[in-house]
Amino acid sequence: MCRPQNSIVTVLAAIACLALAACQPKSDVTEVTVQRIFGECRANVPQGQAPIKNPDGECEVVTHLLDEFQKANPDIRLKVNIAPWPGYDQLSAQFASGDPPDIATMHMSAMPDFASRGLIEPLDGGFKEVGLDVDNFTPAARNGVTIDGQVYGMPFDNWTQLWHVNMNLFAKAGLVRDGQPILPHNPEELLAQARQFKAKTGLPYLLQPTDNERAAFTRNMFTYLLDQKAVFFSDPKTIRLNTPEARRIVNLFKQIYAEGLMAPGQDYPAAMAAFLNGEGGICLVGTWMIGTFEAEANTEGRPLYHGYAVKPYPMLFGTEQAAYVDGHAWVMPKRDRTPAERAAVLKLMKFLQAHDYDWARTGHLPTQKDVAQSAQYLSLPHRNDIVALASTGKTLPAGVERQFAIQDIVGDEMASAIRGHKSVDQALSDAEHRVNDLLFHVLSRQDR
Amino acid sequence: MSRALSQKGSWTNALFVAPYLFVYLCLLIYPLIAGMGLSLFKADLFGGGSFVGFENFARLFRDEVFLQSVANTFYFVALTVPPLTVLPLLLALLLNRTTRVAAFFRGVFFSSSVLSVTIVTLVWRMILMSEGGLASNITALFGADAIAFLSDPKIVMISMAIITVWWCLGLPMMLYLSALQQVPKDIYEAAELDNASWWRTLWSITLPSVSRTIILVAIFECVLQFQLFGQPQLITQGGPNGASRPIVLFIFEIGFRRWDVGYAAAASQILFAIILIATLVQYFVTRKRGVQ
Repeated sequence: MCRPQNSIVTVLAAIACLALAACQPKSDVTEVTVQRIFGECRANVPQGQAPIKNPDGECEVVTHLLDEFQKANPDIRLKVNIAPWPGYDQLSAQFASGDPPDIATMHMSAMPDFASRGLIEPLDGGFKEVGLDVDNFTPAARNGVTIDGQVYGMPFDNWTQLWHVNMNLFAKAGLVRDGQPILPHNPEELLAQARQFKAKTGLPYLLQPTDNERAAFTRNMFTYLLDQKAVFFSDPKTIRLNTPEARRIVNLFKQIYAEGLMAPGQDYPAAMAAFLNGEGGICLVGTWMIGTFEAEANTEGRPLYHGYAVKPYPMLFGTEQAAYVDGHAWVMPKRDRTPAERAAVLKLMKFLQAHDYDWARTGHLPTQKDVAQSAQYLSLPHRNDIVALASTGKTLPAGVERQFAIQDIVGDEMASAIRGHKSVDQALSDAEHRVNDLLFHVLSRQDR
Repeated sequence: MSRALSQKGSWTNALFVAPYLFVYLCLLIYPLIAGMGLSLFKADLFGGGSFVGFENFARLFRDEVFLQSVANTFYFVALTVPPLTVLPLLLALLLNRTTRVAAFFRGVFFSSSVLSVTIVTLVWRMILMSEGGLASNITALFGADAIAFLSDPKIVMISMAIITVWWCLGLPMMLYLSALQQVPKDIYEAAELDNASWWRTLWSITLPSVSRTIILVAIFECVLQFQLFGQPQLITQGGPNGASRPIVLFIFEIGFRRWDVGYAAAASQILFAIILIATLVQYFVTRKRGVQ
């Protein structure tokens, strides 16, 4: 039985302890809010341990890297927020309420929106302070984080869409020479090889999400416009899509679709499942799928077993390798912060730069020259085939704002044309009009 | 003295509703008025901008994508509101009994309503995908081609309507059941004594007794379905060729992807006006017909 007097004494003692604790000197730990995408996977990465499952997955690698940083820097406490992809609804709301995180992941294509609004900080000075070498950035990465001559982020990766090839089906179709897939050099060859593939295997040559998908079509368009050296952004406020170069691309994909050389009616998960199940020759998807497909290639009994290759988009119109790339970067949102908080953020960025190889294991292109040239990186599967894109890949011009919205519009109209819901001319004209209307109505600097 | 007390009493009564009124004014009326104001500005997500008067509205009426989204929304409402008013009534009539089977089916039909839009769209994606979906597997059994439920512009809105009707049947059914259970039993007993047929009883007793609920369901569903968003956002992103883009998805794309919030606010005002007019028309038409 509890005596009331004892209870009162206990409560008073507890209050006194709390009061004393509050009087203690302020903690020396600097708290930094990190906001990232790439999902939640703590179950695969127990605190303080290496990943126990899917060690090359984006989520697992980034979770482990932040844990490692935390372990190495006990004077800094990372408070990690995981935002759903792409993360901008949450980030915009935080900016609007004046409480953005200290450091956040951001697509290079989204950086002009935030930089032009003065919402993220230029980092050249900070990088110099901590000895973060921007000259070590690969050309694609440097280009992606530089706006008006200033560096606004620590590039984490570049990514692009690639041709993932089922070599077992290619062999069956007679499209393998010296262990390498035979890929086309012009539109006519592409159509001929696709027809040959379909005739020999009974399967579609291309697998690409066509339903509930916009980005994939846009990436095809931008890469093949770069292939033709077309200047489709003469200035950051004007796109030119109603052009012979764009028509060539859309007409080619339209023909591929109309002849049944591309699987119809697939969304993203369906297209990935179809490739994993050996239901098509080439899957047009990004660098992030290399790990998954490679794992299948090492699994006996699976359709990709000992039969997977990955290549940059073959150039169909020109001879010089070109590719539209985007990437992820770490940025420092503009907000009031103490010198210690600022130093902690820069320290984290430098740590992430130093661990570029770890992140490149996910399949993404490295952003640091020394990593891209290292034997360690090049010995990873297929990296020799794609590493050149870290130099040759191109983002859209840095001043182009609302790139996500542009991607949606272009993909929307391309899908309409390719599936025959609109004429090619009409779709390109509509895409051009819609994008230019969007860019025209972006607030000018004097309106902000 | 007593008059003064009663006046004082009536003033203090307002305190009981004050908390609700405060929240209502702050979270509904203020944003509504602020949205009306915002629609007259060219502004982005972070404010700024300049006064442009009714230019945003003029832009909307020139914007083919917006006009298509308005047409899509009306089409969708026409496809969903009649079945969502009639089917739950039929189900309620069938299940308005005290047997275990009826209780079981009441639970079955209501169960879809508790699912989130994410789950609903995941389930229906697996059914409707033309490559490997359940529907395409069934048509393949009969040697027929798969129906492009999600990639044919002529069919996609019908698919959205099927998904929505499946998802939303439960609540109106419960409303009808509640209304049916309040009809006095003695009226039915009197009809039985008069040898009234099932049809006659339905037409002359049941339907007039639940007419207020029918109006409520029709108006409620109308308001709800004009706000279609989650299903096309998650399954088609408004495609193919914009055929499943409703007004709310248009507003979302403009506001959150393009950051053109003044323009999005103008589209929101138009949606608000459409819903208001549709609801009032429905209300007055049904009242004129003598439904009390």
